[in-house]
Amino acid sequence: MDAATPGLNALELKGVSVPDRLHAVSLALAPGTVVGLVGPNGSGKSTLLQIAAGLLPGAGEVRWSGRSLGEIPVIDRGRSAAWVPQEALFEFGFTVRSVVAQGRYAHGDDERGVEEALGRLDLMNLADRPVNRLSGGERHRVLLARALATEAPLQLWDEPLAALDVRHALEVLVLAGEIKRAGRTLFLSLHDLRIAHCLDMVIVLHEGRLRAAGPPTTVLTPALLREVFGVQAEIAPSLVVKLP
Amino acid sequence: MTPSPWVSRVALPVALLLLAGLMIASLGVGDLWLGPARIWAGLWHHDELAATILWQIRLPRLLVAMLVGAGLSASGLVMQAYFRNSLASPGLLGVSSGGAAGAVVAIGAGWVSHSILVLPAAAIAGALLATGAVLILAQRGASTERLLLAGVALNALLGAVTSYVLSNFTLSYERNAQILFWLLGGLEDRTWEHAAIALPIVAAAALLWPLGRPMDLLSLGALEAQSLGVDVRRLRRWLLVLATVLTALATAVAGTVGFVGLIVPHILRLLVGPEHRRLVPLSLVGGAVFVVACDLLGRAAGGLRVGIVTSLVGGPFFLWMLRRQA
Repeated sequence: MDAATPGLNALELKGVSVPDRLHAVSLALAPGTVVGLVGPNGSGKSTLLQIAAGLLPGAGEVRWSGRSLGEIPVIDRGRSAAWVPQEALFEFGFTVRSVVAQGRYAHGDDERGVEEALGRLDLMNLADRPVNRLSGGERHRVLLARALATEAPLQLWDEPLAALDVRHALEVLVLAGEIKRAGRTLFLSLHDLRIAHCLDMVIVLHEGRLRAAGPPTTVLTPALLREVFGVQAEIAPSLVVKLP
Repeated sequence: MTPSPWVSRVALPVALLLLAGLMIASLGVGDLWLGPARIWAGLWHHDELAATILWQIRLPRLLVAMLVGAGLSASGLVMQAYFRNSLASPGLLGVSSGGAAGAVVAIGAGWVSHSILVLPAAAIAGALLATGAVLILAQRGASTERLLLAGVALNALLGAVTSYVLSNFTLSYERNAQILFWLLGGLEDRTWEHAAIALPIVAAAALLWPLGRPMDLLSLGALEAQSLGVDVRRLRRWLLVLATVLTALATAVAGTVGFVGLIVPHILRLLVGPEHRRLVPLSLVGGAVFVVACDLLGRAAGGLRVGIVTSLVGGPFFLWMLRRQA
């Protein structure tokens, strides 16, 4: 699998704006990191991820591994970045396996890594089922497996954990660690600040503006959380859940 | 219901066999019944009476029926992938009505006598206008409700245009027949000229062939497809043009034959699954099978128009689909 070119940022946004939704957001993600994107509902997280994935027109500049998005042909984009939407809706009854295999479209439909991706997302026993008959969480796992099958060095996941049960959510976090160790970059939006607290970097969006970016311990301060989310935060021992 | 692999494997050969059988039946059935032996003799002019019937009447009619069926069915398949909605089809969205209105305006204005190309060109122009209107009315998301309501309005409007133009230029005694032809579709008195007008359907179908794989990705979401490496803007433009041309050519020679583009792809999807590399060729053959069969049924029932038969079969089927979706 391709690691991003060392020394260059895996993802770089410069002054990205979308009318009424995002205001001059600039950020840079280093290769081999897992970066969380947090912010209240309507703060622009999904819009930012779509811009980063090159799926939404907007002012400003987007670069993947130093290359400006405009210079990258569409088919190459399919190999360079994978995007997982927040909603997993399927009108037609493709089998789980064939949807995951769509991740290989930009690789000439070579089917490489499809079985492995199915296994990683615990979809082996659902592989021949039609996707439009699955539960919400199962459909999300299908989309994650498809993103994984692309083997793209930049992974952009929009709230991948929201629909998952606790075990599958923990498995996805293990997967995030593997992506990072392979030198690839994962940028994911999420609502659970406790998980965000364990990532390499956190980006806080508020009303379409970048409010803070950096290591979670320095970014997610009680003062900022009160200001952005209107909640009281403190670090205290509570129920801890892990994979056996 | 998950389609079983062996059904997928035999579907195309079975459909082709079915089509061959229906072709023989379609050439044989009529005021003068012809058995396979006499059809064979007629085709090679060894039997002059059979030859006249076949070459003058039944062959062009059969060819037009096959092309119309293939075109409408493939057009429906494309629209369903485009709008990500299994209820989208040329008839329900008003694209067929647009084609018919375009054709009728060209006939009414007297342009048709200039060239054989005028009629299909006018049908394509009318269908493109209707497609454009659907796109504007059903922008973003294209929910079933918006699509179908846009189609209802367009069908009513364009049907009125067709009827109005025909009332103005046709003689009163043939007016109703003409209006019926364009609003309900028919295959009566089809000639080699009609077959020639519809023949580019074959070319459009050939252009559709390699788009099957990207259509799979598009049918699960435009943004998703783009992120996976599909040039969605280009693909969608192509699909829209092909779907519109397929419908327009079919409509130019047979009027608005309803429900073909809706029910044929739907049945095929139930049988072989949603993969378009399989569905594109199958929908072409399946559409031909359906329209030739409906034409035969109509002739056996004493000369019912093919559009009436497809609607009698397709209407209840559509209601059943709506109920299943709800």
